[in-house]
Amino acid sequence: MRVLIVEDDREVARNIAKMLRECGHVADTAHDGEDGLALAREAAFDVLIVDRMMPRRDGLSMISALREEGDKTPVLILSALGEVDDRVEGLKAGGDDYLVKPYAPSELIARVDALARRRNPDAVKTRLEVGDLEMDLLARTVKRGGEAILLQPREFRLLEFLMRNAGQVVTRTMLLEKVWDYHFDPQTNVIDVHISRLRAKIDKPYGAAMLHTVRGAGYRLQP
Amino acid sequence: MTQPAGHTWRLPPFLRTTAFRLTLLSAGLFALSSFVILALVYAATVGASMNRADTAITAEIAQIEARYAAGGAAGANRYIVQRSVGGGEFLYLFQDADQRRLSGNISGLPAAPADAQGRLRFVYDRAPADGADGGAGRNARGQIAELAGGHKVFVGMDVEEEARFVSNTLNAVLVASALALGLGIISGAVVSRRFSRRLDAINAAARAIKAGRLETRAPRNHTGDDLDELSSNFNAMLDRVEHLMQRMRTAGDSIAHDLRLPLTRLRGRLEGALIDSDAAEAREAALQRAISDVDELLRTFNAVLSLARLQAGERRRAFETLDITALLRDVAELYEPVCEEAGLEFACDCPGGLALTGDRELIAQAVANILDNAVKYTPEGGAVVLRGRRTGAGALEISVTDTGPGIPMEHRARVLERFVRLEKSRSLPGVGLGLSLVQAIAEVHGARLTLDDGPGAVDGHGPGLRLALTFPAVEG
Repeated sequence: MRVLIVEDDREVARNIAKMLRECGHVADTAHDGEDGLALAREAAFDVLIVDRMMPRRDGLSMISALREEGDKTPVLILSALGEVDDRVEGLKAGGDDYLVKPYAPSELIARVDALARRRNPDAVKTRLEVGDLEMDLLARTVKRGGEAILLQPREFRLLEFLMRNAGQVVTRTMLLEKVWDYHFDPQTNVIDVHISRLRAKIDKPYGAAMLHTVRGAGYRLQP
Repeated sequence: MTQPAGHTWRLPPFLRTTAFRLTLLSAGLFALSSFVILALVYAATVGASMNRADTAITAEIAQIEARYAAGGAAGANRYIVQRSVGGGEFLYLFQDADQRRLSGNISGLPAAPADAQGRLRFVYDRAPADGADGGAGRNARGQIAELAGGHKVFVGMDVEEEARFVSNTLNAVLVASALALGLGIISGAVVSRRFSRRLDAINAAARAIKAGRLETRAPRNHTGDDLDELSSNFNAMLDRVEHLMQRMRTAGDSIAHDLRLPLTRLRGRLEGALIDSDAAEAREAALQRAISDVDELLRTFNAVLSLARLQAGERRRAFETLDITALLRDVAELYEPVCEEAGLEFACDCPGGLALTGDRELIAQAVANILDNAVKYTPEGGAVVLRGRRTGAGALEISVTDTGPGIPMEHRARVLERFVRLEKSRSLPGVGLGLSLVQAIAEVHGARLTLDDGPGAVDGHGPGLRLALTFPAVEG
């Protein structure tokens, strides 16, 4: 996967690039909106990581420019502005995800992975399959090894998100944002409890665990 | 023509005030208008008295002309002699064609030039007689008329009294105007001095604050006048600023306190991992723990940021009409498994149709925070109830009741302060920002956060805590 990091803080840009390279990705960096725009135009990237406040051209204007040119590369916006309005503004400008500084590195990597996967035409699928786990999005049914599993609506959405991002790490914050649509940080382990409930339904009866905990990062659904 | 700034002459401070400039302006306008009015009165008075004199003179000349027409020069002469002797108010001179004086009570024609009608103004000397004042240089008006046979007659009238009256009036006008101006300036100075003294006091307070004496307050006289109101607002503003600064200071101390521990721990772990470089497993475990320490730090940091922004009042823009019933059921759904896991009974009691104008995210966060606390502090076997309802007064109340140890009455005010965690609970995880965040969210929504006893002490549980957010009823 090839990622472009547009961030005016050189050290931050270097660290992100290093992290991505360690995960086996190719990372390029630009230090202001103009350079970022030029680079994004000239090469094909899988994901753009764009800081919001930059010299010469700010992140949002850079993204708008790309979108106007028909560029649909997924964009993760990085910003110190984290209020609802700021998010809405960022997503309106054409961002696909929004991460508020300060963030954990694992959070950034997980989100970039999720964005890269989003490019696959997964969204139009009506069936998701991971190992022997199947999900029918129209009938709203889940089966493992051909055996039906009864899920609550929220558990269904939680599993759907995990299945769409199968093989990737998803963080607790991502789950809270994408499944519950909350952008705050509960002080208790709410997500863990929901995951363990889901695990009790999709893993426990079948012996082989699919829903793994990634320490310090989040969860991964993998056969 | 600029002068070097150092040599500019400046008015004393109280004369440089706005109040003084305004009173000066109004005094000037008053003096000007009184001058104009008095000048009009003056012109009218003078005109009237002079007209009266001129009319009388013309009438007298007509008399003489009539005598002349009837009895010739002798007739006119007789009349004039008669009138001169009679001691009337007129001055007479009757001359023949050769300008010889025939009769009259003055010796010769006045030297002043006459206009086209023969009218003239002059001064003359009068001998005191018949109780009338004499004197030199008295003002008079007169008229010269040529009679048919080349004779000339002059009739004059003493207008000294009128002239004196007129000049007295003029003096009065000028003096009155000058007085109005002078009094205006003096009263302006007095008023502005009083005014500027009070303003100075306020300015002095502001300067003192600028210099770092933050406890200084502007003086008030409690009359409720404009300056008093200014002082009062000024002081209220300072109280707010001081309160915010106090909070910031407490926050700073608390951040230092709350971050130092995890940072120190983190450093220790990383150092340990470095030393145990041969035991890969131990090193990995240390690194994992270090990561969760950093996560904890980030959480604290984010919470501090949200709180700061909330208290700065940035969020009010995101308000919309919210289905509170759905919101509470959503949060309940999020927390129900957590309660179950913690061995607590959980119930959500919320009738349909509750609505409110607010920020969904914030209210959800407030409820989540309260539930976090309830779960954290209620021992196993207890219960937590989330309830939404309309009160009798139409307000919307969201409450969470637990069967935990509760908070002693004397500590209730303190727990709402930022970062305060009662000593007992210091060992539990969490940043202690929870309730102060809830409090800040309540403030943004105009809601009230109240703490009460829970259901009471039963079976080693209780007395419990009931936290309620009361949103005021909205019109319409």
